[in-house]
Amino acid sequence: MNLAIDIVKRGGRRPSERFDRDKLHTSVRAACLSVRTPDGEAELIAEKVCDILMVWLKTKPEVTSSDLRRKAAQTLDTFHPEAAYLYKHHRLVM
Amino acid sequence: MTISLAIVALAALIHASFQLSVSMLTLLSGHAIGAKTAHKKLLRLTCSFLTGAGIMTLLLISFTSFVFQQAFGREIPTIMWAIGCGLLIGLGVAVWAFYYRRERGTSLWLPRGIARYLSDRTKATKWSAEAFGLGLSSVIGELIFILAPIVISALVLIQLPPLWQLAGAALYTLISLLSLLVVYALVGSGHKLSRIQKWREENKRFLQFAAGSGLIVLGFYVYVDQVLSQTAFAQGGF
Repeated sequence: MNLAIDIVKRGGRRPSERFDRDKLHTSVRAACLSVRTPDGEAELIAEKVCDILMVWLKTKPEVTSSDLRRKAAQTLDTFHPEAAYLYKHHRLVM
Repeated sequence: MTISLAIVALAALIHASFQLSVSMLTLLSGHAIGAKTAHKKLLRLTCSFLTGAGIMTLLLISFTSFVFQQAFGREIPTIMWAIGCGLLIGLGVAVWAFYYRRERGTSLWLPRGIARYLSDRTKATKWSAEAFGLGLSSVIGELIFILAPIVISALVLIQLPPLWQLAGAALYTLISLLSLLVVYALVGSGHKLSRIQKWREENKRFLQFAAGSGLIVLGFYVYVDQVLSQTAFAQGGF
């Protein structure tokens, strides 16, 4: 289920887009898989993170993509710190 | 001969301490593992990247040596050595000052637009040929910093006999790939990327200091060995 929330991309320099749960799910799952978490566990963690973020998002009309990323990383940190580290830093690798 | 090869080896070691190729290889591996790429294909991708970086390094060192050989033959003017040393010392100070950005992670000096482009290209890489091209461009991307070690190595190499020139170029390429080979081996043996990246982040200041110091030390050594000693020789009337 997707919420009618606008995600403001990169400080408004790119057009906003609707929140897409699948997109968030895929990115969290990929972060888990890239630290060699088993597939099933990665799927489960991604589901949990998405559920928690959906509750957080319900109270907001719009969110910036960096806020969404920060909150997702913070939530992922409680389930899988190593995956959260990569999720948080993937733009700071080079 | 031994001293010449030692200079080439030290220059290559300094080259190996630069991190753009390592960052790209880490990203490439991370995205490939995250996309559930088969281990065999992951190894193929990373191996292609490594081959690309190696070939571009070999081409650069050979090309620079060829140009110098055509221009000066075996008698290199002192001014060329002085220029090479100036480059080494200047870039050493530049590495100390701004090789890494002052933020978390391992963000490099690259303009953000280029870094984003390289990162997006790395993310989109699915085929070995693309990974090979990425390896080639990772070396070009860092040309501004690897220029000094390559110039000095080329100047040293053209004074050697032809067979040793080939050996020196191969030695330079092999040593400059050491850091990539380590990442390749770690990824291939199943190590977690988060640990590799964490190690890189925790030790980035040391790596920066080592690379900058290496450039400066090599610059001073070559200056004393090739410029000061020749001047002293000439003034002494030997």
